[in-house]
Amino acid sequence: MSIVAGAGFVVAGLVAWRSRSGRLGFLLAAEGVLWTLYQVPLPVPPEVAAVTVGAWPALLAHLVMAFPGGRLGSRTSRAVVALGYACVVVMGLRHLAGPGACAVIRDVGTAVLVFVGVSVIVLQARRLRGSSVARRRLLTPVLVAAVVATALFVVWKPVAVAGGSAPVLALAVQVAFAAVGLAFLWSLVRRRMDRGGVAGLVVRLSGEPHPATLQTALAETLHDPTLRVGYWVPESEGYLDVGGRPVLPEPGQVVTEVDRDGPLAVLAHDPALLDNPELIQAACAAASLALENERLTAELRVRLRQLADSRAQVVRAAEAERRRLERDLHDGVQQRLLAIPLTLSLAEAALTSGPERVRPLIGEARETAFAALDEVRALAQGIHPPILTERGLVGAVQELAAVAPVPVAISSDVAGELPVEVETTAYYVVAEALANLAKHAAADRASVSISRAGGRLSVAVSDNGRGGADPERGSGLRGLAGRVETNGGSLRVRSLPGQGTRIEAMLPCA
Amino acid sequence: MRVVIAEDNTLLREGVARLLGEAGFEVVATVEDASALLEEVAARRPDVAVVDIRLPPTRTDEGLRAAQEIRRAHPSTGVLVLSQYVRVSYTVELLGGGARGLGYLLKDRVSDLAEFAAAVRQVGRGGSAFDPIVVDQLVGRRAHEGDSLHTLTDRERAVLALMAEGRTNQAIAERLVIAERTVEKHCTSIFAKLGLPARADDHRRVLAVLRYLNA
Repeated sequence: MSIVAGAGFVVAGLVAWRSRSGRLGFLLAAEGVLWTLYQVPLPVPPEVAAVTVGAWPALLAHLVMAFPGGRLGSRTSRAVVALGYACVVVMGLRHLAGPGACAVIRDVGTAVLVFVGVSVIVLQARRLRGSSVARRRLLTPVLVAAVVATALFVVWKPVAVAGGSAPVLALAVQVAFAAVGLAFLWSLVRRRMDRGGVAGLVVRLSGEPHPATLQTALAETLHDPTLRVGYWVPESEGYLDVGGRPVLPEPGQVVTEVDRDGPLAVLAHDPALLDNPELIQAACAAASLALENERLTAELRVRLRQLADSRAQVVRAAEAERRRLERDLHDGVQQRLLAIPLTLSLAEAALTSGPERVRPLIGEARETAFAALDEVRALAQGIHPPILTERGLVGAVQELAAVAPVPVAISSDVAGELPVEVETTAYYVVAEALANLAKHAAADRASVSISRAGGRLSVAVSDNGRGGADPERGSGLRGLAGRVETNGGSLRVRSLPGQGTRIEAMLPCA
Repeated sequence: MRVVIAEDNTLLREGVARLLGEAGFEVVATVEDASALLEEVAARRPDVAVVDIRLPPTRTDEGLRAAQEIRRAHPSTGVLVLSQYVRVSYTVELLGGGARGLGYLLKDRVSDLAEFAAAVRQVGRGGSAFDPIVVDQLVGRRAHEGDSLHTLTDRERAVLALMAEGRTNQAIAERLVIAERTVEKHCTSIFAKLGLPARADDHRRVLAVLRYLNA
């Protein structure tokens, strides 16, 4: 029985060592050897035997506390383990002291030993209760066996030290000890088997490529139900889930980035998985193709959502614009137009009552009519730039250039008719860019280039000014980006301090 | 002085015809579109064609293109273009054929009978008439520090603007209530400061000034 138990530890140690958990492997093998030697009479003085092979219970406590990493984490655990070793040494050497002192040391040492045992039980029970699902899966067999074994030991040891005989209890300790060894072995073997599960992942992913399944498959393969997958989306410069929401580690989670010629995906998962880095690496490698596919899908989803957002934004903006137009018409033009016949009636009346007042009244009516005209012009410009109707995009851009405060070089290569909405959007890109330039850029040259190729219209406005334009801050550029996106295009702003500004819109126009 | 009017809006067409008739012009034809305009100009050889930029059928810039055609085919006919909006680029395009017998006015100006009649007469005589707003825009875009326009005095800048509108020295003197000799002195100073060659005839002077402003 005891040989089997010792061998179990030694084999577990070898498995751990093979799995590159060398420190844990050493502790396991040492425990196996100590335990086995403890069972046979050794040709050494009893004191030497007591402080060497007799140290197996302290080493077991050390082993359990240090599982699975091989290191003692907290200060408490280090203190408990140190107390255990100290207790073994003092108890083993107690006969070297006088008989009176020996009895005192024995009683106190036994009490300390019980205390150490109880501490181990309490600490491990707490550790198990506070663990995540993934970690509990790893810890449970070892810790449950260890807690039972320690409990039995704590009951048996004082009896043994007192010289009593409890053969049933002694056997139970032996069985429990063997169970701890087997539990270690089981945990380590299962860790290796998990890596084998990656093969299953490959088969599974080649069968049913669906985003939810990928996350589930990874969660199951890695045995972490809290695992979430985020895909790299260049536009957002971040990792988003299949719903387009950013994936950030939750409290108590860590992230592992998966790269494949650049960022690909991120896994937010339980830190317990880091105990088995090969497993994560193998799973990520196996899933990388599926992840790449999903990343593209996620990117597409983000695009669609952006499109929907900008549509909604444009609908809102259009509604607001209509309301503004109605108000402008009501407050401005209508009131002025009403005032004109009123003033003319006054002039008519003045013809008989006071002819000298007629001239100023007619002048007033004319001024009011001009004011109404100005307002209607401004409104028309806001609804649709009249020059686009008259001249098309290139002519309209020439007019913008003609009134720009700096010389603007125009190059255009636009054959055929452009869709009205593309033309209008392109016009506003140039208008807004040149307006920004006049306000902020401090440039002395600018250029506009418009070209159509491959079913896309490219409109770029560059200057040699001070740069530093921030599309996130300027509402003009943000509104422009929204307008461009609504047309299925994209707006890029490159504006490094001191290096000028380049605003480029790409608009689809089949 | 004989005038053809091209304007698609009936009210405005008849209004302009009546105003010009009262001001002593002979309105020989009123037309609604560009092709009729070209026919009438070819047939009647008027002194001035008053042309709206937007004409049927597309109502884009047909008036402008007809104006350029008239200037090319019938140099003796002056062209006064009327526009609802100020367009610097149109002015620049029209100036490509020189400033002789050329005008570009906002439609608003029609209501000031005396000014409008003066502009038509100016264009009919081979002079120029440009809208103050067009000139304002051209001057405004040169408003930054360091431009040679800043070396001009306020009075000189006012004279420059009136020159750009196409006014004669006499008209400038009347407008600014100063002697014609003084206007001439301002002109010499302006041309020297801007590095422009002095021009004897008014329409070449306008062209030089507008080209300078548009540079």
